[in-house]
Amino acid sequence: MASRCAELALAVLLALALAAPVSAALRVVASTPDTADMARQIGGDRVEVVTIAEGSQDPHKVPVKPSFVTKLNRADALIVNGLGLEHAYIPPLLEVASNPKILPTGPAYIDASIYVQPLEVPTSQSRAQGELHPLGNPHFSMDPVRGKLMAKAIAEGLARVDPAGAPAYQAGLARFTALLDRKIEEWQMLAAPLRGVKAVSYHQDLTYLAERYGIEMVGTIETKPGVPATPAHLEELIDTMKRDRVKLVIREVAYELPLAQKVADETGARVATISSLAGGLGTGSYVDAVEANLKALLGALQGGSSS
Amino acid sequence: MDFPRSRAVLAALALLLATAARSAAAAKTDSELAAVKAELTNTRNELATTRAQLAVTQDMLSRLSTKVEALEAGGGAPSAAAAPSGPRIPPVNADNPAISFVVDTELTTDTNVHGWDFSLQSGELFLSAPVDPFLRAFATINGSSSSGFDIEEAAVVTTSLPWNLTVKGGRFFADVGRMPHWHDEALPFTNRPPSIDRIIGGESQAEGAELTWLAPTEHFIQLNAGLYNTIGADRNEQLRAEGFHGYRAFDELTWLVHPNTYFDLTDTLNLEVGGTFATVAQNDQRKLYGVDVTLRHQPGTSSAYQGFVLGAEWLWNNERFADVPVGFDPLSGETLLGHRRFDRNGGYAYLETFWNRRYSLGVRADFAEDVQGDVNRQQTYSAFATWMPSEFHRLRLQFDEITGDVKNDQQFTLQWTAFMGSHSHGFAMR
Repeated sequence: MASRCAELALAVLLALALAAPVSAALRVVASTPDTADMARQIGGDRVEVVTIAEGSQDPHKVPVKPSFVTKLNRADALIVNGLGLEHAYIPPLLEVASNPKILPTGPAYIDASIYVQPLEVPTSQSRAQGELHPLGNPHFSMDPVRGKLMAKAIAEGLARVDPAGAPAYQAGLARFTALLDRKIEEWQMLAAPLRGVKAVSYHQDLTYLAERYGIEMVGTIETKPGVPATPAHLEELIDTMKRDRVKLVIREVAYELPLAQKVADETGARVATISSLAGGLGTGSYVDAVEANLKALLGALQGGSSS
Repeated sequence: MDFPRSRAVLAALALLLATAARSAAAAKTDSELAAVKAELTNTRNELATTRAQLAVTQDMLSRLSTKVEALEAGGGAPSAAAAPSGPRIPPVNADNPAISFVVDTELTTDTNVHGWDFSLQSGELFLSAPVDPFLRAFATINGSSSSGFDIEEAAVVTTSLPWNLTVKGGRFFADVGRMPHWHDEALPFTNRPPSIDRIIGGESQAEGAELTWLAPTEHFIQLNAGLYNTIGADRNEQLRAEGFHGYRAFDELTWLVHPNTYFDLTDTLNLEVGGTFATVAQNDQRKLYGVDVTLRHQPGTSSAYQGFVLGAEWLWNNERFADVPVGFDPLSGETLLGHRRFDRNGGYAYLETFWNRRYSLGVRADFAEDVQGDVNRQQTYSAFATWMPSEFHRLRLQFDEITGDVKNDQQFTLQWTAFMGSHSHGFAMR
């Protein structure tokens, strides 16, 4: 009886394995919606992309679901944002995915950060400074100029995994870069009112975006990166905001609104809700996401609220 | 006669003139050719010069483009990232593994004893590192107020076997159910559920080998199979105390099978189900059955820190023990020892709700029986609240209402836990 059960179980498992859809396209798992959209834009029909994190999630807190393990197990390539953004979910998933080629030391691990010059690389890695990223601030995808560098790294990575598709990936990269170049020119003109505007964010993730548009960041609602606000910190932050006439409280969609609104109300600033990952504001593509963030900032600055 | 002579003269003259004209034309063509050749050489030289100048200009253009890109990307940084040689991963010191230490300390008060007890629940050193491209190793060294230092785990795990296989060997927590293989500091409560403590004997510590297979399907199915001396921290401690480590027959070893699977019910709701079967075949000595179910709500959006985990686990243990009281000598009245089989079970269910980024509240109900001898049934109802000032720092208050055959009790426990260094629970303690 026991052996019959074992045979039956084996037969079911084999049937499941054989029933799994087979696709000629390169199976790509992307850790974030940003890298997923870039891979689709660059790879076109040659790639079949699935995403792990959702746009509205905090990339530091993405749940480790077993259903992600099977996606990684069957992946031909893994694209990560890099600089440790995915430290909470990619390492534990890779631990059990049984797919050596997509490990960080493997040939199909595509790190989109390799051409980005990291900012805020900690000189000390003491946790007294909060939950620091040892390799530098990983939230560069919100800056479209750095988005071009991410796309370059992704195209090269895809070509490495699928050499036959290299010309297609180069062509895809050229198209995507040309689109970004056009949009960047447009966005820089649109963003002119943001230059010199003082703002605070919830988490310390706007460094690259603020630099792109000339926003002056004066603090964060979090006490330290990843450490929730304490009453003393909030009091100090509010004093600073009043003194420096801070106009914007930039709240990333993954973080709670009420506290950001309270800080804004007490200081006369306005809340702008943006997303640190593509899709968090209901947008579909990376380009749309960058534009939505910019419009949210401008909308809040010009009197509305994007919360 | 005159006419033919004059004709001949004229013909000779014409021939002479024609020859002279041809010679003159030939001379002119040679000079022109030489001139064109010189011009061609000059043009070729000019082309080479232009090409060289173009190369210099292109090089300059390329360098300027790179500089512009770097300045744009770096926002004024002096240079872009150098051409990469590989992905950026946190620096690893080949000579030192990842190290973490957990301080897990408690203050407990008990209505039965009317007193207070400070204790080190666990001081745990965790080491882990890749060994080579094929293997990683880890070790857990633990000390506490109630037990001395112990190497809880010291094991090696393969990283690149084919067919989705992983082999683990050494001393480690066997993959029994859900929480029996969790470390104390990873539990959502201040203490291990009493039912697990009694049936497994603490954590599912075991010395042996375990094979894990991940089904190559879209749907998550994982199958663990293991072979061990025995399973359970208390049983291993007993074996060590008895100076164990003799050879034993194959059917005296403990075999384990633990399949588990997972379903995404919705984008935010998921269900995980596992089953456990462990046996010691000789004389049908032990059969342990278990089932574990976990339902999670993980919205992960702007209310990212809200959600819940509902978990339950039940274990049935049927075991034949030696040297246990089996009756009394009718003449002497002394207790007679012998073999006896006990059929005992127990389990728990809990709900933990996450109300804020750092706060959670939960309740737990546990039903426990002793694994041998008198049943000593015990029901424990608990409520617990957790506050995490940061990801690596936690305070937890728990109240336990204990009712049972032997004792009725109320306990309050305040637990303070801190994580130093590179601490990660990994996939197994998700």
